[in-house]
Amino acid sequence: MSQYKIIFTGPVGAGKTTAINSISDVPPVKTDASASDMTKSRKSSTTVAMDYGIMNLAGGEKLHLYGTPGQERFDFMWDILVTGGIGLVLLLDNTRGDPFQDMKFFLDTFEKFIVDTTVAIGVTQMDLSSKPTIDDYHIQLKAMGLKPPVFAIDARVKSDVSLLVQALLYSLDPGLEG
Amino acid sequence: MDKNKSPLKVALHGMDGRSYKMMAMYLQGPCKGVAVVVNQGNEDIDIFDVDGVNGGSLIAEHLTKNTQKPVIVLSLNERIIENVLMVKKPVKIDDMLGALSKAKSLLQRPAQQIKKQDVVGNKVNDSDQIADEKPVLKKFVLDTDEQKKTSKHQAAMQLDEKGFGAFIGNVAGLDVNDPKQFFRASYNPKEYFQGYVESAFKVCHAKGQVRQLNSGWNPLIIFPNSHEIWLDVDENQLRSFSGLSINATLGSKMSITPLSQDSSTADRTLERFQSMDAFLWKTACWASKGRYPASIDIRQPVYLKQWPNFTRLLVTPHALRISALLIQGPRTLANVAEVLNIKPQYVFVFISSACALGLAGQVKREADVLVELPEIKPNKNQGLLSRILSTLRGKKA
Repeated sequence: MSQYKIIFTGPVGAGKTTAINSISDVPPVKTDASASDMTKSRKSSTTVAMDYGIMNLAGGEKLHLYGTPGQERFDFMWDILVTGGIGLVLLLDNTRGDPFQDMKFFLDTFEKFIVDTTVAIGVTQMDLSSKPTIDDYHIQLKAMGLKPPVFAIDARVKSDVSLLVQALLYSLDPGLEG
Repeated sequence: MDKNKSPLKVALHGMDGRSYKMMAMYLQGPCKGVAVVVNQGNEDIDIFDVDGVNGGSLIAEHLTKNTQKPVIVLSLNERIIENVLMVKKPVKIDDMLGALSKAKSLLQRPAQQIKKQDVVGNKVNDSDQIADEKPVLKKFVLDTDEQKKTSKHQAAMQLDEKGFGAFIGNVAGLDVNDPKQFFRASYNPKEYFQGYVESAFKVCHAKGQVRQLNSGWNPLIIFPNSHEIWLDVDENQLRSFSGLSINATLGSKMSITPLSQDSSTADRTLERFQSMDAFLWKTACWASKGRYPASIDIRQPVYLKQWPNFTRLLVTPHALRISALLIQGPRTLANVAEVLNIKPQYVFVFISSACALGLAGQVKREADVLVELPEIKPNKNQGLLSRILSTLRGKKA
């Protein structure tokens, strides 16, 4: 039986765990642990394996929501996680030192998967740091030849995460009728 | 050693992830980088939030260790805890700088125990000294007011087809969905509040100056540098005003005037701040009433430069689908409606707002209309994707 999944990725603290929690129908399986390396300067615990949530669809099907571990030392898992995925949700933390560098890193890392599917980008923490702006992200993306949806999101707000995932799906097929 | 290059190293305790990050940025931004958050074990100073779930037990445990490091406690109450520096919440910059300064002076006298419990409620004498130190780690300035601008950061309203007519309005005697009436289904933004707002935004950006748009109605204050506006009216009033053709009646009263320095920086209700984009987007929706802007030639394709930031804009029916289609390439408005099998009014209202923000434009080159438009290919998982969409929208199809 096919396993349908959407992958959430992004740097440490971007809100992957929270975003999955916002739209999952079941309490997400979290694998957070006390941070023991450089991540600790940004948050007290971090995801060391992966996050997992489920959306129950009509007809009994399930959509699996996977969050990649934020720490790069776990990037060996990323290829396994994306296999069979529908699309990629990239979350970026606007308070980090260089969010464009983060964006480029993840877009490069998941380049093949994005070419095969699509990507939607959510920028978090814009209420704490309003720069760079969403337009600034588009300028960077344009230079990379990309035109994905880029939304300001609060990962705790279901409608924000929902709109981002909807944009991801419409990017795959604008003719969809939900 | 140059003390300006030696920020205090602090470890944070008893804070959840968001509070932890907030405090780290608070120290970097408003506190001008005089302290930096480090891993536990490497710190000069420990800061405890004792109002959290484990805060009380953490500080109690810490104090039993008889550490020589200064301790700062953040609390809603002015607690009496021996040998610690208190900062009352909500934390004020002067209080925090005062406590850090005091802690720093204690560090410079390592042989002495911290003897005196100190409630930092007012400015500490040497806080100025530490505040004047050159910022070292500042990457951006955290504006604590920014979070209180709830209208600016809250999730946008999403309209469905059912609510569209009542919310957006219509024009008597015009069926915008009838192809035979397409040629007269346009409107001139300059006759509406939208046109004056667009014009005022351009002036403010060009001058780089805070200005006020006077309309004989409530004044609109425009802050071009932060890309914000301030208007003290509720949404229903704005919707009604935006839908009126005001050029003939109020046009002569319209003016844009610079604000004095005092007026520019005056305290304003933070909830009334909105982003310029969100404000202009909905103003255009209400002026459009389901029509398209007169600057658009209905026979020529339009294109979309980038996706609108939909989470912070009024989301009209099918706006996401229209964006996804137009981002692939230029199409006429009628073709968009046909391909997506939706009423033209939804395409028209979308393009009105997208044009107002400069996100959409009209194809001018013949080459762009020379070849047949590409068909959209249904995704192989179309059924599944539709079920996901239904679930996301709360419809259990």
